Amino acid sequence: MTARQTLAQAEELSRRSIIALFRQPQSWIPGFFFPILLALVYTSQFSGATNLPGFELTDSFLNFLLPASLLQGISFGATIGASDLAVDIEQGFFDRLLVSPANRLVILLGRMAGTMTWATIQCCSLTLIFIALGVRIHGGSLAFFTILLVGVLLSLFLGSFAMGLALATGSEEVVQSLFPLIFAFLFLSSAFFPTEAMTGWYRQLAELNPITYIIDPLRRMVLSDFNWGDAGQAISVVLLLATLGIAFSLYRLRKKLAKT
Amino acid sequence: MDSKPIEAEGLVKRYGKLIAVDGIDLELRSGEVFGFLGPNGAGKTTTVRMLTTLLKPTAGTAKVAGYDIVKEADQVRRRIGVALQEASLDPLMKATELMRLQAVLHGMSKSVAIERTKELLERVGLTEAAHRQVRTFSGGMKRRLDLAVSLVHEPEVLFLDEPTTGLDPTSRLNLWEEVRSLNRDKGTTIFLTTQYLEEADELAERIAIIDGGKIVREGNPSSLKAQVSDPTLRVVVEEELQLKTTEILKGFGEIRPSKDEVIAIGLANGVTMMAEVVRSLDDAGISVKRLELDEPSLDDVFADATGYRLEGAEEIADAQEAAEKEAGVFDDESEK
Repeated sequence: MTARQTLAQAEELSRRSIIALFRQPQSWIPGFFFPILLALVYTSQFSGATNLPGFELTDSFLNFLLPASLLQGISFGATIGASDLAVDIEQGFFDRLLVSPANRLVILLGRMAGTMTWATIQCCSLTLIFIALGVRIHGGSLAFFTILLVGVLLSLFLGSFAMGLALATGSEEVVQSLFPLIFAFLFLSSAFFPTEAMTGWYRQLAELNPITYIIDPLRRMVLSDFNWGDAGQAISVVLLLATLGIAFSLYRLRKKLAKT
Repeated sequence: MDSKPIEAEGLVKRYGKLIAVDGIDLELRSGEVFGFLGPNGAGKTTTVRMLTTLLKPTAGTAKVAGYDIVKEADQVRRRIGVALQEASLDPLMKATELMRLQAVLHGMSKSVAIERTKELLERVGLTEAAHRQVRTFSGGMKRRLDLAVSLVHEPEVLFLDEPTTGLDPTSRLNLWEEVRSLNRDKGTTIFLTTQYLEEADELAERIAIIDGGKIVREGNPSSLKAQVSDPTLRVVVEEELQLKTTEILKGFGEIRPSKDEVIAIGLANGVTMMAEVVRSLDDAGISVKRLELDEPSLDDVFADATGYRLEGAEEIADAQEAAEKEAGVFDDESEK
């Protein structure tokens, strides 16, 4: 296959992933709207919390939640592609792809590209909704594009990790069981409250959680000015996670293909 | 194609202690429909998965379209079409989208893909359903689409793994016709696995029977049947002529058990002796009311090779008969 043909294959497989999302809205609508609802509920419940330590940069709880809400929405959507991959394996469509001369890596990359495209769509749409609700990104367009890049890389991390699980188990149920784990992963970080406002084991866990080191710099960009140091920190941490996720999925793909 | 479409030697697949395929040899001729017949769990699908590069053999070698299935798997994949058991189609995609995806995966250009899609969907009678999602298709439509998808890149060898399992009798007949015309018009070599005797008998020029992972019989259906026993000739005459008829027929073969009014013999050389039988009866002034020659069935061949009969054969025959009646195909007697 020529490079052009391989690219066409990746594009076609990626398109297939996106089309599948639009044709099964039930798979993404709850995950898309949940962060908005949660942000609105938290804002009305905890607006007084902005007087606590860690809220020095803002008096708007909704503004404080923006990066967390965006990453939460993206995280929930990131595993849909992996669920679809598991269904492909369960129903035999993956075999159809394997008996074609398509590049093996492209079969996986096509799905990942679909996941990243979906993350971009989600991030942009959710940002627009939050802006309509009164949120302001003080760091400007550079801050927004950093959040977008981090969101896409986070979707790549979660998506590729979930695809690795799909390849290892071939089970949609196993992939979907990641959902509560992702939920807990976000809650055990500084996503919804600053670590300064936490105590005991919860604070220790939050300080160990890599999500904290992604959310905190993004939040500073949203609440005050953009700076390259914060952008570099958030991007480096998520890039490291994405690399681990991709390595895991490629390892599982190689294991699966070793049988063929 | 100069080389054999499929050549396998001592192909083995082991899962721990279980031997799914136990050293099979295969050699297909270019342009033939080859039937791979066996019950569930006999090793048919495992063999297909090895030949289509989906599974690595534990031992043995095989070439498909002239290329080694392990060392030159990519070359094999370019030359084969595969319709696996339980149509492996994405239910969310439309028929045209699936066809385009398959074309792109085989490196075809968009314009060629569009042309082939149109041609193939028309061929399998799915033009009107071209823009519908697969989840709205019936079982028969899915199988026909699966067939069309596997033909997009004009494969040299087509693998059909139990293509009619789960289909209603009418859909089964339609698919058979499709397979026949494909083989006739394009000369595509077809490797067909089936657990249905009728299907193998109807479609395959040659058959291999697999049981317990081993090929236990191989040849064309007629010669396999002939190896089992001579065909049975059944004759019905007026009651008073039965004794005389029996005496004459004894000269052509051994008497076989039959119903009261029927005289049955095992007729050596089958059809070629029929004229002589009729002449002898005529010379003796015997007026024959009915004359039938029954070949041994593939089930007889299967039973002879394995020691048991293939389950479900009777149901399939009944279903076939029902489908023929439904389609308005009547035999002479029922028409009267």
